[in-house]
Amino acid sequence: MNALRGTLASTWAVAGFQLARLLTPARVGLAALGMLFPAVVLFAVRRATTGPLERNFGAVLLYALVPEAVCMLGLLVTMCPAVADELERGTWVHVATRPGGRRALVLGTFLASVIWTTAVGLGALLLGVVAGGMTEPGGLIAVFGGLVIVSCVGRAALFALPAVVLPRRALVASVGVAVVVEYLAGFLPAVVNQATVSLRLRSLLVHWMDWRQRIPAQLRLIVDPQPVWVQCAAVVVLATVLLTLAIIILDRRQFPPSEEG
Amino acid sequence: MIEVRDLVKHYRGGDGGTVRAVDGVSFAVQPGEMVGLLGANGAGKTTTLRVLATLLRPTAGSARVGGCDAVTDPVGVRRRLGYVSATTGVPDRLTPREILDSFGRLHGLPEPARAARVERLIGQLGLATCADRPAGRLSSGQRQRVSVGRALVHDPPALVLDEPTSALDVIGACDLLDLLATLRAEGRAILLSTHRLHEIEHRCDRFVVIHGGRVVAAGTRAELVGAGGDLEDAFFAAVAGAGVP
Repeated sequence: MNALRGTLASTWAVAGFQLARLLTPARVGLAALGMLFPAVVLFAVRRATTGPLERNFGAVLLYALVPEAVCMLGLLVTMCPAVADELERGTWVHVATRPGGRRALVLGTFLASVIWTTAVGLGALLLGVVAGGMTEPGGLIAVFGGLVIVSCVGRAALFALPAVVLPRRALVASVGVAVVVEYLAGFLPAVVNQATVSLRLRSLLVHWMDWRQRIPAQLRLIVDPQPVWVQCAAVVVLATVLLTLAIIILDRRQFPPSEEG
Repeated sequence: MIEVRDLVKHYRGGDGGTVRAVDGVSFAVQPGEMVGLLGANGAGKTTTLRVLATLLRPTAGSARVGGCDAVTDPVGVRRRLGYVSATTGVPDRLTPREILDSFGRLHGLPEPARAARVERLIGQLGLATCADRPAGRLSSGQRQRVSVGRALVHDPPALVLDEPTSALDVIGACDLLDLLATLRAEGRAILLSTHRLHEIEHRCDRFVVIHGGRVVAAGTRAELVGAGGDLEDAFFAAVAGAGVP
């Protein structure tokens, strides 16, 4: 019990550090841009179609823009530099010489990344729904709010691996992982896509929007028919496995003094 | 308290070869003792300290703190050791109080004890006037004091400092070394690396001179200096006589 309390306390301490670092004018400005981007696109589409967006079409756009684009970018910016930032700022040695410090670094950065990106994603969602003038906005916000959370939890854990394996090139590696794992393997109608967040997101979207019977047969191949709880559990299991791997790898990493600063 | 025995650390060099950063170093630091680890840049001081701090794993030999081995019981070492580096790595946006509190959390200190410990450190380190000011607005000396406080937050019996005065002016360095003397008087084992010999010549109990990854001389100031000269002369003589690059 004490160990769990200690882990939670140290994770929260690191998350506090990371959130304080994110609260700079530049980062907040970037987050505001991220929030506005889907709204601008939806508003432009709405203007082009002269009227409120059709609900399902608007939902597809929202899906592509918020849980996919905005969340992905937010997580890339906040999760990838987990270790590289510490090395660059000279704080790595101070965190890594604490009992459980490396574990707290992974979990705390994950937590900060999820909190920050979820806030940005939810802001983008609200603005997007308003800008798109969609019908039944409450239902859409509930569906996409859930998708934003699932996207952030799953993908922050996914980006934790490149952050610890290739800290200096984590951003490039994470983009590669996103393209190859999420957008290539994730769309293969094979066992491999079971281990991707994108499959779970699409499946949840289809479930929650009640599209199962309406989508073409070919598209059913790239969604999972299992119930909602299975999709959510799969993301939790995937995130747990990825974070555990990242902690084990970081625990074994050595950075010579020449790699710092 | 601190014991390094036959320590070897090799790195893979950029050309694919092996760099022997530390090559059979042995020494010990007892409780209530301050030992200076002396050497030029690249002598192996930082690598030795980083193995002690569990940041690097030794290629061979052992490093122990308070009886805990850095390889087999790194968590035990981390509980017993405070580590201070030349680069303070103090987050600009947090105040000294927040930094000390956060690192107390990292050590799992429970709330009442943590707050008391933070207050005590703020008083002991002379940070009372700037405890609630963002660290980005502190002087180099104050930042280094925060860094020392961060290393002491869990009240470790051993303290390792890697060139802690390198970014400080004369007054800041003098203040910090006075603080270390106080910590030694509390019974802590202190290992301090530097290449600014004049600063610590009369403050350390013993010295270990390291060159080319090997110990080339060790002893008290009197043993190293002999009848005449100063520590710098003794250091140059030891390095020149070592015959290693």
